[in-house]
Amino acid sequence: MERGFVTLIGMSIAYLASFIGLGLAWYGWNRRHRDDEEVGS
Amino acid sequence: MVGGAALFYRLARRSESDFFLAGRRLPWWLPAASVFSTHTATDTPMWVTGTVYAHGLRGLWYTFFAGWTSVAAFVSARIYRRSVAFTQAEWQVVRFHGFGAELLRGWMAGWQVFMNMFILGWVGIAMGKVGNLAFGWPVWVGLVIPSVITALYTLAAGYWGVVMGDFLQGIVAIFAILLVSIVGIMAAGGPSGVVDGVTAMGETWRLDSMAFTGWLTGAFPAAWWLTMLVIAIVGGFGMGTSIDWYVEAQRIQSAKTVRDASYGIWWGGAITLLRNGIWAASILAFFVMAPGITNGAEAELGWFRLGFELLPAGLVGVFFAAILAIHLSTISSHLNLGALYFTRDLYQRYVRPDASERTLVWVGRLTTAVLLVGSFFYGLMMQEITQWLIFALWLMMAGIWLPNILQVVWWRFNAWGYLASWIANLGIAWLVVWVLPEFGVIPVLPDYLQFWSLMALGVVVFLPTTLLTEPEPMDHLVHFYLQTRPLGWWGPVREEAVRRGLLVDEKRTATSAPRPLIRRTWTPEEADGWSREDWIAIVLSPVIMGLGMVGAANLFLGRASGAWQLVLGTVLGLVMFWVIDPKLRAVSVDYEAQQAKYLERLEKRMRWQGDDGTRVASTVAAPEET
Repeated sequence: MERGFVTLIGMSIAYLASFIGLGLAWYGWNRRHRDDEEVGS
Repeated sequence: MVGGAALFYRLARRSESDFFLAGRRLPWWLPAASVFSTHTATDTPMWVTGTVYAHGLRGLWYTFFAGWTSVAAFVSARIYRRSVAFTQAEWQVVRFHGFGAELLRGWMAGWQVFMNMFILGWVGIAMGKVGNLAFGWPVWVGLVIPSVITALYTLAAGYWGVVMGDFLQGIVAIFAILLVSIVGIMAAGGPSGVVDGVTAMGETWRLDSMAFTGWLTGAFPAAWWLTMLVIAIVGGFGMGTSIDWYVEAQRIQSAKTVRDASYGIWWGGAITLLRNGIWAASILAFFVMAPGITNGAEAELGWFRLGFELLPAGLVGVFFAAILAIHLSTISSHLNLGALYFTRDLYQRYVRPDASERTLVWVGRLTTAVLLVGSFFYGLMMQEITQWLIFALWLMMAGIWLPNILQVVWWRFNAWGYLASWIANLGIAWLVVWVLPEFGVIPVLPDYLQFWSLMALGVVVFLPTTLLTEPEPMDHLVHFYLQTRPLGWWGPVREEAVRRGLLVDEKRTATSAPRPLIRRTWTPEEADGWSREDWIAIVLSPVIMGLGMVGAANLFLGRASGAWQLVLGTVLGLVMFWVIDPKLRAVSVDYEAQQAKYLERLEKRMRWQGDDGTRVASTVAAPEET
């Protein structure tokens, strides 16, 4: 396989890890806000 | 090293800060040694050999991307050190605010956990290949056994073990690089023998580091050289390449002062480039002895062959020990760094914000072990990966090159613009690098055009995104500005800080007394600003590193130009430190007095608390310092 194509595949896998991290941040943020709302109400 | 780890075990287990940053107490020479050692991996001589074998001395410029440290040492390292963020992921919530900043933190942490595992796998497999070349071992032996040994002291002693090991391993590596390079050059007939040999082949261009093949054409156009300089030097104003900056970020924060952080990064980069110059001379010697190798993978083993084939039997053992040292230092750094991103930026931030220090240290250790095992599988899957592919990956992240700079120098740049640039870069890279050329819409672009195309297309995405979304809240920006004092376009934030009485207006307090050409006496308040002295360092620093790299190669080839290049570089270096050192000392004194307060605030934020200890999802604290 050519260099560019292989690199793009590797980069896409790294992006997958970033999306997982982003999803975890989303979850953490929402959970924190939900907890705060429960404490407030 | 494993025995030494026991000495640092007690230090490492005290806190997360000790396990990952050595308690922020290191003098500049330890982070410097660690930067050099980490960036001297088993595959590094393969890559430098490959480029110099193919391109001659001009190939050195491919390696000059490490020159970003020349500017970063005096700009972004200073700003980042003052942020006190453990990681670049944490920096996102210091620089930006709210939901966007949190998404960026998670994004960057995910990227880094993976990237560290990826680098561990690729460096590990390079060690497997070297073990196979030297002793005929199966590849998995070199991949697994040295890494497991490294993990033992990294697990026990954390970053303390990493950085102390890097220092010792760096000394061994420098000794081996000098020894093998000199032996290789002498085997080719000495410096004059190498020069005469290349000349006799009619390939004197290999001896010229500026032998361009045209402005835009050929294997090494001037446009590519200029692009490399821009990437490295202008990139130094910013924070973050896709791969390199993260390692330096940990070393910057582990330094005991702002001054130590700056010098640590500067010397780490400078020694790395000097090393490349020495390597280049010996690789030309290899070329004279073994010309005409057309298989790139075979040529890449040239420097290792000099060591294994030319050294006497006793010294081969020393050489292999040095290779192990090179390998261990890189593995240990990435094990600890990957664990840091997972532990602090994912686990503590989003899963267990109230975890105890003891729990966090153990999560760090467990993550280190998991990363290690993951890297074995990944390494075995990518046996054909060479650092050329890493270089290609580095280029393909061109879409975030400018945002990495803008996040430091432009107040209006926001989290959404930065996140958009990251996400868009993937699609744009696929289009420009593979899809459009594959379907004949555009030709396959040379590297320098690929870089500029990706960068320009990235602008089309992130600039509108930034301008169409809200700026970060002014309270947050003022706070950030007062803490880090960034360089660049921060006028509105600075004016707001002055309006609130948090900063003194320099225009009003300026005296009529003439300013000396070079100022060497500073009050801490004066030193916080950016001045002529900073710009002198910023301009001289890349020139010094370039002279050092090319000068070292020429000197080892016995050419007079090498001597004057190194002398000129040394003189300029002395001038640069004479100019900038008083200012860095003044910055450090002032900042260290405030650091405890910043660290306390960072830990409260980490636990989703406001400055008063109340629980809030995202804190915007009104700055109170003057």
